Amino acid sequence: MRIIARFTKSDAVRFVSHLDIQRLIHRAFRRAGLPIAFSKGFNPHPLTSFASALSVGVTSDAEWFDVHIAENIEPCEFAVKLNAVLPEGFRIEQAFKASDDKYSLTAFMEAGEYRIDVSADEADITRIQGCVSTLLDGPIIVQKKTKSGIKDVDIRPGVLKCNVDVIDDTHAVLNVTTSLTVSGSVNPDLFLGALSKAWCKNADYSIHRTCIYSKDGLYMPLYQQ
Amino acid sequence: MNNHDLKKLLLKVEKPTRYMGGELNSIVKNDAEYKFALCFPDVYEIGMSHLGSRILYNILNKREDTLCERVFTPWSDMENLLRENNLPLFSLESKRPLCDFDIIGFSLLYELSYTNVLTMLDLSGIPFYANERTENYPLIICGGPCTCNPEPIAPFMDAVVIGDGEEVTPRIMDVYAECKKKGLRKHDMLLEMANIEGIYIPCFYEAEYKDNRFVALNRISDRVPERPMRSVVKDLEHAEYVGKLLVPYMSIVHDRIALEAFRGCTRGCRFCQAGFIYRPVRERSVDTLLKYADELVDCTGYDEISLFSLSTGDYSEIHTLVKNIVDRYSKQNVSIALPSLRIDSSLKDDLEKIQSVRKAGLTLAPEAGTQRLRDVINKGVTEDDLIRSVRDAFESGWTSVKLYFMLGLPTETDEDLLGIVDLAKKVVAEYYSVPKDVRGKGLRVTVSVSTFVPKPFTPFQWEPQLALDEIRGRQKLLRDAFKGLRSIDFQYHDSETSLLEASFARGDRRLADVIVRAYKLGAKLDSWDEFFKFDVYRQAFAEDGLSMEMYASRNRNVEEKLPWDHIDMLVTKEYLMKEREKALMEITTKDCRKGCNGCFGNKYADYCKVY
Repeated sequence: MRIIARFTKSDAVRFVSHLDIQRLIHRAFRRAGLPIAFSKGFNPHPLTSFASALSVGVTSDAEWFDVHIAENIEPCEFAVKLNAVLPEGFRIEQAFKASDDKYSLTAFMEAGEYRIDVSADEADITRIQGCVSTLLDGPIIVQKKTKSGIKDVDIRPGVLKCNVDVIDDTHAVLNVTTSLTVSGSVNPDLFLGALSKAWCKNADYSIHRTCIYSKDGLYMPLYQQ
Repeated sequence: MNNHDLKKLLLKVEKPTRYMGGELNSIVKNDAEYKFALCFPDVYEIGMSHLGSRILYNILNKREDTLCERVFTPWSDMENLLRENNLPLFSLESKRPLCDFDIIGFSLLYELSYTNVLTMLDLSGIPFYANERTENYPLIICGGPCTCNPEPIAPFMDAVVIGDGEEVTPRIMDVYAECKKKGLRKHDMLLEMANIEGIYIPCFYEAEYKDNRFVALNRISDRVPERPMRSVVKDLEHAEYVGKLLVPYMSIVHDRIALEAFRGCTRGCRFCQAGFIYRPVRERSVDTLLKYADELVDCTGYDEISLFSLSTGDYSEIHTLVKNIVDRYSKQNVSIALPSLRIDSSLKDDLEKIQSVRKAGLTLAPEAGTQRLRDVINKGVTEDDLIRSVRDAFESGWTSVKLYFMLGLPTETDEDLLGIVDLAKKVVAEYYSVPKDVRGKGLRVTVSVSTFVPKPFTPFQWEPQLALDEIRGRQKLLRDAFKGLRSIDFQYHDSETSLLEASFARGDRRLADVIVRAYKLGAKLDSWDEFFKFDVYRQAFAEDGLSMEMYASRNRNVEEKLPWDHIDMLVTKEYLMKEREKALMEITTKDCRKGCNGCFGNKYADYCKVY
């Protein structure tokens, strides 16, 4: 059988990398005594796949993975057992049975939603609203590393939504939704890079992924424009 | 350090999980009467791989009166950030500045980490030299294999642990607690500590030099032992182990469960310091090891168990142990690794069992290319042993073999070196003699040749290390001989670090000044190629009127007083001299499991009751 689960990554573990998280989940499976299915071959590894890598330093409410299980187990028991052994800062929030077909979480991803806490000087915060609007009005050209070297790319089409709330004199919150698909994604870091250039170079950002949306709404929430 | 400051720093460094703490099974106590900083003078991923530190972490944190937290050397990016922001080096558990601990203990595993000790003290605003630290500073101690010649770092240390740490460390804490309660001053506390078995207090001994040579170390108080003696855990079976092993977030060098099957080695390879300074052999039982394995798999979730010792194939119940581990864990996909196998162990069955779970490379260490030289170093294996082992491995489907050798061993000739090439060729030929349908595909033979470093407490402690030019010449000879050989990958390392290692290994107290000088000239993280600055050390030695060659490349007379003679490592100097003579006559010494060779002299009855 297959289980799909969503977990959170909190502030205390924000610097743990994607690769490290995969490894720690695998170790948690073993500590929890969960009957995970392994690949065949010389170096068997747990049959898991993670939906989307998160950058180091980013926290999240929406980390998804699916895992094949060798024996039947209730998703709720799966979550409880795993939560009992996960390091502090990681928590399974949701787990459900999924069909055993080839459906991959990645293939149906559509967009990622982020809450970005911004802190900067008062003078800069008063300008942020305007700067973001201007930025969204035109193309947003950033430099992106590709196989053939560094290229100028317009990420504007991938910035699906963006609004700004000014919290107080020195703090604002950006709610940004960017595309997150197999064929192309916009990392919020790229958007913030462009914003920094256009607005203010010494602001501090703290990025939190709030949601991953899907095309079909089957497991992850449905993306609505 | 507060969370906000830390987060800002972590955003800017390359590997933030090195400094983050919070790993599974880390122990965070709010407060305790005595605070112990367990320091490892290298970066996180190296230090976290050190088994001894994990044992001490468990032992110290088990005490109710003590909290023990880890501190590592920061990589240069973090070091620079700390300096720029005027922030002190901090512990991983509670982010407490190093200078706020009562006792700071360094594990010294490698001579090239000495400047990292200074980096860590410097970042904490603690004076380097023990005699410059007033009562308010933490007590600074060290332990680990490097302390069998503690002299180069002795002036920095209040106390030095010699030998096994499991029993000495709690004794230190007891004495520390007693002395604090009595309100004793540091000097008096050190006098008390000097009489703990396994403790050496450098300030009660003074070095004497004549004609720029070390001639004696004189005891200046009759209240301390003439020769501080190594601490030996006699009953390893009941000694403390790692407890709930910490599981790092980042991948570290030894990222697996280590089961220490035994301590010590009975073989007596004459180049091997560990073989002499960890005697006698003490084993843990299969039952105890399996119990630890169960507990550790449960509390870590690691997928690999490694049997750890100086010569795992020599464990008296190796086959039972391997069979049990494989049977027990293959279902859970936990594999077993056997490092430090000796090539004369009969392991074919075990290899097949290991293969059934996971495949790793096979590492063998013939150490020298000819039988003559292997007899000199008392490496009691023959070419037949090696060929038989690799054949077993190839027939079981293994295709990757790593062979370790040393260059510059005493009496080595070009013929011995070319013997390495011959041996590698024979291994390749053996592979092709195994039928195609039996052997695996894609042979890879890695030949790794390191430079011999003569070490204290070995029969070669009087021998000169080859001069740099000569080492490079011999490396070239090998490089040329290996050119064009298919399936063989020849690896060696530049010899400058070996020269420095050899200097520190047999150095005297004057080297403390050299280390400080080198540090001030910019030496740090010396074991990392990208940081190692040989010229800085050249200059530092020269400015003190010394040279590396004085320590490394000089032929010492057996009558000469050695800077480490005052340390009683149990193995007697007479025994080492006898072994040296036998080496030069190419006479081997039997494995002491087959009968006592008398290495402890008259202390035999007290310390070596195993066989």
